[in-house]
Amino acid sequence: MPLRISSSPHVRASAHTGWVMQQVIIALLPAVAAAVYFFRLSAVWLIFNCIISCVMTEEIVCRLRHKPSTIRDASAVLTGLLLALILPPTIPWYAATLGGIFAVLFGKQIFGGLGQNIFNPALIGRAFLMAAYPAMLTHWVNPAGVDAVTSATPLALRKFDQIITPLGDLFLGTTSGSLGETSALCLLIGGVYLFARTIADWRIPFTLMVTVLVTSTIFYVIDPVYGSPLFHLFSGGLLIGALFMATDPVTTPVTKLGRYIFAIGCALMIMVIRYFGGLPEGVMYAILFMNAFVPLINRYTVPKPLGYER
Amino acid sequence: MIHVKEHKEPQHGRRCEKFVTPKKLYLPLSQHIGKPAELKVKLKDQVNAFDALAEYSALVSSRIHAPLGGVVTAIDNCPHPVLLRSLGVTLQCTGDSPQLTQREHIENLHKDELLGIIKDAGIVGMGGACFPTYLKLSPPQPVDTFLVNGCECEPYLACDYRLMEEETESILRGAELVARIIDPKQIYFCIEENKPAAIKKFNLALSMKKYRLPESRLVILKSQYPQGGERQLIHQVTRRAVPCGKLPFDVGCLVQNVATLCAIYEAVYFSKPLVERIVTFAGDCLREPKNLWVKIGTSIKELFDEKILEFDREPEKVIHGGPMMGISIENLDYPILKGTSGVLFFSKDEVAPLEGVCIRCGRCVDACPMNLFPSEIIRRVKHKQFDRLDEVFLSDCIECGCCTYVCPAKIPLVHYIKEGKRYAPKNK
Repeated sequence: MPLRISSSPHVRASAHTGWVMQQVIIALLPAVAAAVYFFRLSAVWLIFNCIISCVMTEEIVCRLRHKPSTIRDASAVLTGLLLALILPPTIPWYAATLGGIFAVLFGKQIFGGLGQNIFNPALIGRAFLMAAYPAMLTHWVNPAGVDAVTSATPLALRKFDQIITPLGDLFLGTTSGSLGETSALCLLIGGVYLFARTIADWRIPFTLMVTVLVTSTIFYVIDPVYGSPLFHLFSGGLLIGALFMATDPVTTPVTKLGRYIFAIGCALMIMVIRYFGGLPEGVMYAILFMNAFVPLINRYTVPKPLGYER
Repeated sequence: MIHVKEHKEPQHGRRCEKFVTPKKLYLPLSQHIGKPAELKVKLKDQVNAFDALAEYSALVSSRIHAPLGGVVTAIDNCPHPVLLRSLGVTLQCTGDSPQLTQREHIENLHKDELLGIIKDAGIVGMGGACFPTYLKLSPPQPVDTFLVNGCECEPYLACDYRLMEEETESILRGAELVARIIDPKQIYFCIEENKPAAIKKFNLALSMKKYRLPESRLVILKSQYPQGGERQLIHQVTRRAVPCGKLPFDVGCLVQNVATLCAIYEAVYFSKPLVERIVTFAGDCLREPKNLWVKIGTSIKELFDEKILEFDREPEKVIHGGPMMGISIENLDYPILKGTSGVLFFSKDEVAPLEGVCIRCGRCVDACPMNLFPSEIIRRVKHKQFDRLDEVFLSDCIECGCCTYVCPAKIPLVHYIKEGKRYAPKNK
């Protein structure tokens, strides 16, 4: 009877990496449903396109590097899904495919694969497309009609035309915008699921949202033209960014204090771009910018042990 | 701290049975923290039950007694779950357990006499650390708070629970004796909420006010792991944090496990040294789980030979101790020691053969009861940056296993931490 020997502990929690990724995908399903409802077939194709390009890239890189395939951990699927949800529904298929390839190749695999990347891969994919095809990335359609009518996003309307979109539309998602970012309601349902199953730490999204609310309240009091706090919370990519991008474990701080710092940094950066930047929206660049500080934040927020005395 | 799946239910309900007639006992001389005891017997010596086989050899050491009368048949390396091999005495048992007689005039015993009895009885901390109890009871500075540890936070184990339910009076008498020695201002009886019967018993016993205890309180704690850890328990109950590298008495606390208190009671009232204890035998391989009073030195194999325990299916892993901090053993020849709280038999090993990559999710950081940064410690160990482990407080790790339990990438963090502790330069 050969008995197995190993280091303690001898029992393990059931959660594993693939399961965590699956749970995030499940949490995104309400937003996917909203996307399909609003943008119909173009949403289905875009999601399909991004996921396939990400997974294929992951598999090819693994083979080239003679490493075991990592597509089973579902992280490439998640990257593809997130990328699709933050692209405009009208984006041409080749651009989306390129975005997916770029996201996995330069966002993740070039650093050494899962767990090694500095920047959020989906956001890297989008940033690449933003630089390569700026016109495609700023072409929006209104989801309400069957015939796609070109219209600006709520944040662009505020910034360039001083028009404030009604909160109800923002909450339900009947505005123009990226595939999965428009419906605040569906994103929040997904967020609640994430926290209920303790997949993501509440600290980052909560702090990020609170900081956005506080900052926008101050500006709203100064001049209502800046937009109300809830307008800023529900518009653009803020919720998908706060709930699903800023909670990506790999590219956010590990320490509790670090998470607060990261979230506050993201929120302030978003508001600076929204108020004073050339672009109407700043979630992507804010999170990518703060991603770069994560190693530094981790280093300076090493927790003090219980009973530590200096 | 974390919540670990408890698996205590089947064991909790099993009254203790006794196995008092082992044929052979293996008694390692090192069953405690400190120096191994010094051998006092020779080969073929005839010994009586409760005779000292080995004496304390230094300040931090402990006596080893013969649980039963018999003949010393070997003095050699015997199996030891922690040390693998340790010099020990093999005893062929012939005698029975002796009749116990109650000591007279216990209330007149002086504090130093009580300490002497505890020292001579070879009592060590029975929660697993095995620190000699008489030393713990002689702190260099006054202690105001005495915590009775009935947490038993390791999954599967039920020996302390059974003891609390079946020997409530003995534990309270033991607490009374400890209170006489260290004279604390308050006593907290700490029990986790998953032990309702024990809570009921202690509630009743404490309300009867027949024990001469200072201000005593029953503290019912939310079940968490590793709440039974000394530092964690002190922090949970008193909010005092034991400074790194210091001991509980530095914050005026003393923690004693319930089984240790029971042993103190038996030593003082009946002059009985520490020669037996309750051990939980559990796991899915056993036909039925059991809580057994066994003699120290009984080999696990003998319990199966005597049909006290029976296998339902072949085990793939056997653990000496609890599943979080216990040690996996490669055969059943190992003896029960003073610090053995359980032996577990699993048909399937939950430990994955391959580890994944760290996704920096921070679950280990959130889980660590010592508030450390496990993933960063592991990163430095893997990169062989042994001289930089101090900055991340490697030495404060208590190896409780929480980080490894929660890790979704199934990285054996504790294993790497142990490796780090081995190679880290000792700071003098």
